Amino acid sequence: MINWANFVSQLFNGLALGALLALISSGLTIIYGTLGVLNLAHGAMFLLGGYAGYVAFGYTGSFIVAVIAGSLFVAVVGILMERVIIRHFYSRPHEDQLLVTFGLSIVFVELVRLIFGSQSQQVPPPSLFAGITSLGFMFYPTYRLAVVGIIAVALTVLFVVLYRTRIGMIVRAGIEDSIMVDALGINVYRVFMIVFGIGAMAAGFAGIVNAPVVSLTPGIGDDILVQTFVVVVIGGVGSFPGAILGGLIAGEIISITSMFNPGYAYVMLFAAMALVLVLRPYGLLGTRGRE
Amino acid sequence: MPKQSRYLIELLTAVGLIVAPFILPYLGFAPNTVNRILVWGLFGIGFDILFGYTGLLSFGQSAFYGTGGFAAAWLLTRAGFPNVLLALIIGMISAAVVGYLVGLIALRRTGIYFAMITVAIAEVFFFVEFNPLSDFTGGENGLPGVPSPSFNLGFTTLHFTDGWSLYQFLAVCYFVGIAIALRIVRSPVGAILSAIRENPLRAQAVGHNIHSYKLTAFVIAAAYAGFAGGLLGVLQAFMPPDAFTFETSGQLVMQTAIGGIGTLFGPLLGAAVWLFLQDFLQSALGLGAAWKLVLGTVFVLLVTFLRRGIIGGLKDLYGLATMRKKPVEATEAESLADFSAAEGVGVVAMVPHKRAGDRSSGPILQVKGLTKRYGGLIANSDIDFTVNHGELRGVIGPNGAGKSTFFKMLTCEIPPTSGKILFEGRDITGKSVTDVCQLGLTKSYQVNQLFTQLTVRQNLTVAVLADVRGKFRLDLFRDPESIPGVKEQVEQTLQLVRLSGRTETRVSDLAYGEKRRLEIGLALATTPSLLLLDEPLAGMSPQERAETVKLLKSISQGRTMIVIDHDMDALFELAERVTVLQEGRVLVEGTPDEIKANPAVQEAYLGGVLE
Amino acid sequence: MSLLEVSGLNAYYADSHILFDVAMRVERNEVVALLGRNGAGKSTTLKSLMGVVTPKSGHVVLDGVDLAGRKSHVIAQAGMQLVPEDRRIFGSLSVEENLVLAGLTAAKKWPLERIYEMFPRLKERRASRGTDLSGGEQQMLAIARALVRDPKIVLLDEPFEGLAPVIVRDLMAACRNLAASGQTIVLVEQNLAATLALAQRVYIINNGHIVHEGPAGEIKAQPEVLQRYLGV
Repeated sequence: MINWANFVSQLFNGLALGALLALISSGLTIIYGTLGVLNLAHGAMFLLGGYAGYVAFGYTGSFIVAVIAGSLFVAVVGILMERVIIRHFYSRPHEDQLLVTFGLSIVFVELVRLIFGSQSQQVPPPSLFAGITSLGFMFYPTYRLAVVGIIAVALTVLFVVLYRTRIGMIVRAGIEDSIMVDALGINVYRVFMIVFGIGAMAAGFAGIVNAPVVSLTPGIGDDILVQTFVVVVIGGVGSFPGAILGGLIAGEIISITSMFNPGYAYVMLFAAMALVLVLRPYGLLGTRGRE
Repeated sequence: MPKQSRYLIELLTAVGLIVAPFILPYLGFAPNTVNRILVWGLFGIGFDILFGYTGLLSFGQSAFYGTGGFAAAWLLTRAGFPNVLLALIIGMISAAVVGYLVGLIALRRTGIYFAMITVAIAEVFFFVEFNPLSDFTGGENGLPGVPSPSFNLGFTTLHFTDGWSLYQFLAVCYFVGIAIALRIVRSPVGAILSAIRENPLRAQAVGHNIHSYKLTAFVIAAAYAGFAGGLLGVLQAFMPPDAFTFETSGQLVMQTAIGGIGTLFGPLLGAAVWLFLQDFLQSALGLGAAWKLVLGTVFVLLVTFLRRGIIGGLKDLYGLATMRKKPVEATEAESLADFSAAEGVGVVAMVPHKRAGDRSSGPILQVKGLTKRYGGLIANSDIDFTVNHGELRGVIGPNGAGKSTFFKMLTCEIPPTSGKILFEGRDITGKSVTDVCQLGLTKSYQVNQLFTQLTVRQNLTVAVLADVRGKFRLDLFRDPESIPGVKEQVEQTLQLVRLSGRTETRVSDLAYGEKRRLEIGLALATTPSLLLLDEPLAGMSPQERAETVKLLKSISQGRTMIVIDHDMDALFELAERVTVLQEGRVLVEGTPDEIKANPAVQEAYLGGVLE
Repeated sequence: MSLLEVSGLNAYYADSHILFDVAMRVERNEVVALLGRNGAGKSTTLKSLMGVVTPKSGHVVLDGVDLAGRKSHVIAQAGMQLVPEDRRIFGSLSVEENLVLAGLTAAKKWPLERIYEMFPRLKERRASRGTDLSGGEQQMLAIARALVRDPKIVLLDEPFEGLAPVIVRDLMAACRNLAASGQTIVLVEQNLAATLALAQRVYIINNGHIVHEGPAGEIKAQPEVLQRYLGV
């Protein structure tokens, strides 16, 4: 028996989750496309954004400040990571890059656990979006609706930055041919650093924006990382449109499946990923290129 | 390896395992900890074969650890199965089967994609274990009541309960595990896995079905994981759900990296370090929950600075301590001296072995209408090309002529847009590079494609193994020395390319000219009846060129060869006939003298300046 | 002092020794050609000058500053520009974006209008994506992109390769104008006719060694030299 209100509710959830995944995956895919590094610490960026925002909220009581603080904090962490560690790994084999980013993710997660403990922390939604909205045939938490909007705005900003600004132009050119960008007088190493910062910030922003929806625990980074990977494999590594498409698909799969049996959500997700791998090995919108 | 030290490692392991219970307590290891270390160590053996030897970094081994563990535990608890050892083996087999199925999907991609997929696998299995299958797995409670092993020997019954008693059982399991792994790693399959790690492209091109070998490694890793998972249940008398977590996979990866990747014993050492530090940091230093943070930081530092782990670091120290001379990178002069000195020795040219369907005269290769289009760009257009048995054909052409593309289509590295390729009368259009090599057509590359960390002998052995064993053989326990003909073929090739004096040298320590010779040697070792050489003289000094031309002449006996090069003098000295390509088409074909005198060819190269 | 002085240049590809002690000089406003068969090291020479390939040893002195071993963006900022043989325009960017990108860090640059004046075709196609351009248009864009920074010296790597004769003619005219306006150019080509029409001086490279240097006019009268190093 399909309860239609429930169904629509889940569709919305899927949209919210999908948008979230799309944003986080965009960050991951941009970093990979430009630098060639798969950042296993990307989930930790999401985590750090949430907790940094939580701390800022604790001091100021303002959700907006929390969002800004969370995002900026993670951007700085990302830039430091690239400067201090990642850049020494560009010429090393991919496996080494995976190992070191994996190690960094453990370090970040454990730091959070050490400082904040394992119990969950709450960040209340901003009063503007608190409560429930009536959608006619059902009620839906207002903030969750707002999240879709907020993330849509963030994705739009990311799009504008990528496709309408100079730095975005450099990033897109760098994804295609970083050597040539360097030969045109642009310090491509600085570009790498900025890209890492932007990619991390996308995840951090998502982390704090999503915090009122779920409770913050040290483990949320790992969960989101796995989902991000699936999104990127489905959408195509290095493709910003692919991340968005993949995100929405993954979000809806998880949500709709949860309606019938929450345990099977991951199974369905994995099945979808397996299907894409068999039919279109480079992802739905990916191109043959980097492996 | 000299006969007497052949089983040295096994012996030392056995001794170590026997002696451990007497020494380790004094170092602060409780028996339960030692048992845990053994289980992790066994779990890691398979992972090390997959990552250390084959180069596939998987973050999903927990899936198989849990599968094997819960299969065994379920049999022993819910299903009332009596025999612990048998249950463990069944658990291992289930894990292997699941590993096979998962591998079919996961191995469709390599490198980063592969790693991502394995992460997803780990998580999926965890969720499945928790929810849909919670009836079998006990959900978040796990499966309690796993019995410990006992063996009824007739006159007495051996019970292995816990602590040092159980240690005996685990130690035997570990020993068997290591012995099997050492066997596998020394087998032909082991050599091929290492080759896949070093250069999968070349491993494929010398005739190995690398996908099947990778799948084999994946299944082996799953099997070890499954057995170890079962042991975990026995060890704790309880099968915990967290066997399935991504964290478990991660811990395995970190422990192996800490101990030393590619050593088989790395996971054991890493587990010892990990568990010891976990204890030490928490209790002795009172760090409490921060122990994992410290371990994580240690791991990051290790990956950054001590890439080969503790064992690797120890090996380096040992090397320094014994002042072992690093194999000196030969200078060009030395390598040429070797080369010329060996010339006088009479060498029997290696005759390509006859394959079914081979003819001995007439055309060996017939190409009809071969075309390659990349979107709007036409790289090769309607090429007709025939080479007869025993010919030495040269292919030349100005830049953009499409020579490399042409060669790649001949070896089936890339598929043609249209046209047909007949090799020994057989249509090979659209076949794989591996199959074509097995049929007797192979190439030496313009840019060296060697197995860099392997020795010269190991490089050639990999190629010969493909020739002698076919593209896939599951001879995991075979002694490579026992395969007839391998040694001889390797020796013959070494002599042909004048590298007999450098057999135990690693490729990375060879001079450039020597690497080039090995490059040709790799192709020769597969006993091709048609050998393509893509710019064999590239990057060589005038002296090296002269020597290489002599080498090529000597190997052309009894073999058909096609050579692309830009060194006109050398090529015209070598080739009997020359084909000239221009802008993707065949311009003209003839003897070197005819080509030199042909005005169209001059025009193609000189752009019509000379009146 | 020459605008560009190269001496003792040795370059490798992995450990394949490609350039052996290459030396050349380029004077201001000159067009110098580097001839040789493919595989001889022409492209590698240009790439070494631009820092795309890091030379193992040698000096690349531009206006008195040794740039050998520096990163490409530093070399670009010093006034050198490369038009690579596979063009390497940014396919996912538009024509105009390609040009704007090139000038982002330039102290002084050609205004877009001047570029479009020289290459009217590019003006017509200014909004098209790079991948939608024809071969000839891509080559034009690659050259235009190099000019944006008003470089002291432009390195052209086989600009006429793979193009239809009609396009080559147009491109030749553009190059002739460029040279006439005083732009210093190092031209690598296999198309001898085009080269001799543009260059004042010629170097010939064979198997990584410079084997000949001389005025372009003289080399036409030395067919045996051409035959030996370029012909068959």
